[in-house]
Amino acid sequence: MATNDEMIKVTNLCKHYYNGELKALDNVSYSISKGDVVVVIGPSGSGKSTFLRCLNLLEVPTSGSVVFDGIDITQKHYVDEQGNKVKLNIDEHRRKMGMVFQHFNLFPHKTILQNMILAPVKVKRMDPAEATEKAMQLLRRVGLEDRALAYPIQLSGGQKQRVAIVRALMMEPEVMLFDEPTSALDPEMVGEVLSVMTELAQSGMTMVIVTHEMGFAREVGKRVVFMANGRIVEEGTPEQIFDHPQSLRLATFLEKVL
Amino acid sequence: MISAAGFAKTWQYIQLFEQGLVCTLSLSALTVIFGFVFALFLALMRMSKIKPLSWFATAYVELFRATPMLVQLFIIYYVVFAKVSLPSFKIFGFIRFERFFPGVVALSMNSGAYLSEIIRAGIQSIDIGQTEASRSLGLSYKQTLFEIVLPQAIKNILPAIANEFVTIIKESSICYTIGVQEIMYAVSSTKGATYRIAEPLLIATAVYFCLTFPTSKIIAYFERRMSRGDKR
Ligand SMILES: Nc1ncnc2c1ncn2[C@@H]1O[C@H](COP(=O)(O)OP(=O)(O)OP(=O)(O)O)[C@@H](O)[C@H]1O
Ligand SMILES: [Mg+2]
Repeated sequence: MATNDEMIKVTNLCKHYYNGELKALDNVSYSISKGDVVVVIGPSGSGKSTFLRCLNLLEVPTSGSVVFDGIDITQKHYVDEQGNKVKLNIDEHRRKMGMVFQHFNLFPHKTILQNMILAPVKVKRMDPAEATEKAMQLLRRVGLEDRALAYPIQLSGGQKQRVAIVRALMMEPEVMLFDEPTSALDPEMVGEVLSVMTELAQSGMTMVIVTHEMGFAREVGKRVVFMANGRIVEEGTPEQIFDHPQSLRLATFLEKVL
Repeated sequence: MISAAGFAKTWQYIQLFEQGLVCTLSLSALTVIFGFVFALFLALMRMSKIKPLSWFATAYVELFRATPMLVQLFIIYYVVFAKVSLPSFKIFGFIRFERFFPGVVALSMNSGAYLSEIIRAGIQSIDIGQTEASRSLGLSYKQTLFEIVLPQAIKNILPAIANEFVTIIKESSICYTIGVQEIMYAVSSTKGATYRIAEPLLIATAVYFCLTFPTSKIIAYFERRMSRGDKR
């Protein structure tokens, strides 16, 4: 049985391509608790994105389970508190997980404000005026309230990514997933995005972050996961991972990136 | 060949051309609407993960693109609707419904095949990241389609759709062969009454041009307006 603050429990997760010839995820098990900030590092092609995308089922795993708030979201049905078998609606679970992408994925045909209020209004039936007010508050928090009526194309990369983060926050998610949020940014814009993320971590948000920013990983991460060849090779606190690598694989990786 | 007297004679039957214009417009407008909705379903079916749906849509599209419009029209009118007794009333007091309706069906089924390929290309041109972002916000497949993917896809394929609409207006002339009173029907009636052919054809040419040219212009205007999200 899960502990009280366990939020996501991944068990024996596999994602195979080409009939199992390529194991993007190979028997990965991991558990994420409320308030955790988990940083996932590893070489290119090691399965970091696949792992993250399996958490909200953007990628459907070949086998294994992802239990989120006590419900295995890889199944078609689950059993509710009354003991009834209920059809699982993945949309209901996804809205509790915010996701931020490398390439921002703002909706280009909508203004910043429209980008932000779309999901709360359409999915949560929030009153548009109320959603707008909430959006303006969040935009103020990231210093972009004057861009509310702009279109995404009019923003810099760093601004777009900050909008993408607050767009996800509009749904008041329980956990935020980040897939290399700063990798597509010009170097001078990385800082502004990382500082928003740092602030978010300090506010107690549960976060899973795939990143190549090792300084940030060490500073903000509570746990660090090192992946290679579709497996979790090492896991621990930033000190354990960065200062005392146990495996040769991790040591060579760190030598290259640090 | 062409003479002032000929035009004078033809002009006596100008009402037939007015009716032909109304009929061609109704025929094309309905075809555009039905064809588009039908095409959207075909495109979604073709992209569906459910194999039989996608096979059906593919077979349909290939069949309709590989056979002549005239054959399709005759099959719909003389074979399919032969068994169905359509109510015989007149739209706008002159358009015979029992001929008009099979015409709309045949044109829609034909243009649906072409439009579905255009729509499919449009949907596939949208970055998959758009869908992923929308779904990760909790929007459903349908909400994502109508809020995120289609608005962007339609903007991208507007020129192709405009071309198809113009094509439909021109192709609808084929319905004259089953007695739909569109513009070519007016030409043929006038010819029978006046023994003039060049002047009625010239008038028909002018009418068709006046229909298709502004249509492309209007769509070009909307295309410019919808692209404002792309500009700095
Ligand atoms: N749709 C797919 N089809 C086939 N192979 C895929 C697909 N998606 C991912 N892979 C493969 O799965 C493996 C893991 O990919 P993944 O994107 O998770 O790596 P990553 O650790 O995120 O790498 P990067 O740092 O480059 O983003 C890679 O070998 C990749 O080529
Ligand atoms: Mg990746």
